[in-house]
Amino acid sequence: MSAIVQVRDLQKTYDGGFEALKRVNLDIEEGEILALLGPNGAGKTTLISTICGITTPTSGSISVGGHDVIDDFRRARRLVGLVPQEINLEPFEFVMNTVRFSRGLFGKGRNDAYLEQILKDLSLWDKRGGRIAELSGGMKRRVLIAKALSHEPRVLFLDEPTAGVDVELRKDMWQLVERLRKDGVTIILTTHYIEEAEAIADRVGVINKGEILLIEDKAALMSRMGQKEMRIELTESIETVPESLGDYDLVRSNDGRVLTYAYQTTSTRTGITSLLKDLQAAGIGLRDVQTSQSSLEDIFVNLVKESAK
Amino acid sequence: MNWYGIRAIYRFEMARFFRSIVQSIVSPVLSTSLYFVVFGAAIGSRIQEVEGVSYGAFIVPGLIMLSVLTQSLQNASFGIYFPKFIGTIYEILSAPVSALEIVIGYVGAAATKSLLIGSIILVTSFFFVDITIQHPFWMLAFLVLTCVSFSLLGFIIGIWAKSFEQLNLVPLLVVTPLVFLGGSFYSISMLPPIWQSISLFNPVLYLVSGFRWAFFGMSDVPVAASLFAITTFSAVCLGIVWWIFKSGYRLKT
Repeated sequence: MSAIVQVRDLQKTYDGGFEALKRVNLDIEEGEILALLGPNGAGKTTLISTICGITTPTSGSISVGGHDVIDDFRRARRLVGLVPQEINLEPFEFVMNTVRFSRGLFGKGRNDAYLEQILKDLSLWDKRGGRIAELSGGMKRRVLIAKALSHEPRVLFLDEPTAGVDVELRKDMWQLVERLRKDGVTIILTTHYIEEAEAIADRVGVINKGEILLIEDKAALMSRMGQKEMRIELTESIETVPESLGDYDLVRSNDGRVLTYAYQTTSTRTGITSLLKDLQAAGIGLRDVQTSQSSLEDIFVNLVKESAK
Repeated sequence: MNWYGIRAIYRFEMARFFRSIVQSIVSPVLSTSLYFVVFGAAIGSRIQEVEGVSYGAFIVPGLIMLSVLTQSLQNASFGIYFPKFIGTIYEILSAPVSALEIVIGYVGAAATKSLLIGSIILVTSFFFVDITIQHPFWMLAFLVLTCVSFSLLGFIIGIWAKSFEQLNLVPLLVVTPLVFLGGSFYSISMLPPIWQSISLFNPVLYLVSGFRWAFFGMSDVPVAASLFAITTFSAVCLGIVWWIFKSGYRLKT
């Protein structure tokens, strides 16, 4: 796979001096679904806006499909569709007209059959002759998606697509994303919801304070999530971990009263049974045992906390 | 060139115009008719003639200019301000359209609207007064140039404006006085010499004068000066628009 979007040393400092992006590097592979997670003000929207040409970068370069987004903006932008976070629509316009407008704006000739398909996929076909102002919030968001898809983009940016959206629409949206992925469309979505990233993304990126802290395969993250810790409280403190327990990589607390054992729930053998046996054999008494699991949420929160330091 | 893009913007803007057809066409026609009644019939009956032309006919070019200037400014400034105000501008900015194409789309649509309104007023005036157009080609040329250049100015105002108040500020405080003091309803030869000299600094005078010359073959200032004024004005507006897109002024962050 080759990178369809390449971001190199991207910096954006706003006029007020606020540094929204600090030397961001990012490769987005063709056909993947990338979820960008991050707290408010992390720079997610600035990153997307800069790729789409709405915000001018302070320095660095971006290319889409091998075309520089500034020097060769026509070719680059033709490939890109953007669903903005805010519901920005002209209230007096009709649904079909506004979608046609988007297609024309992106340099494509009229193709009502294609637009009909999009509107049907988004359950908007019945509303095609209605005014935007008459639609509910969820329907308006669908119109934004229809507009973004109207010119058959290869890369689709969804900026917080499910913020304030009901469960039904969220599921519809996920199905749509799945269909688009089958057509080979690359999708980048930003979200607050970690479960959303888990549900549909191939890779997960975490961004905070204008920096990408991590970008990893969801599978790799999930295995990190599968890691559990067992905290073993002892009846009496021990000076050292007995040699017979050397294979378990146990971590002894400073006061010698607690041993911590890390294991994978995903592996066939967790080693808990043998550990407990070996502890008994070594003559170590147990007061209590606790297990805890790290989640994507923990990973995320820890990353964001660390970067705040 | 992204012709589909230009056409999309142009059609979208024209659709807005035809959606509010009453406001777009009926209101300028009505207000012009009122001018004819008040100025032409009531006042005109006392003024009789200006340099051999009946007063009712004399004010026609000025009336058309007044409407065309205001409509160009309003349509063009609103056309670009509204997407900025409601946020739909994001789509224009992220689309594969160049600055030139955006300007052709928006300014072209605004100029078309004012050209339509100007033509309607001209037709309306035939019902009130007898007019002959001595130089039809130049009449059209002045009209089109005025529509385009003031739509460009409107576009600039629309981008500059941060509120609806600012949007109305320039048309209200600058353009309307200039039009009224620019010889729309009188010949500056009727003024005291000092005001005649001051009027020469009013750019609108050159437009109205040139336009009136195309109708009646008489003018306050030489036709060449009128032509020079309007082309210079268009060039300046184009330059500002070029700079706006180059710098992203009030469009991009």
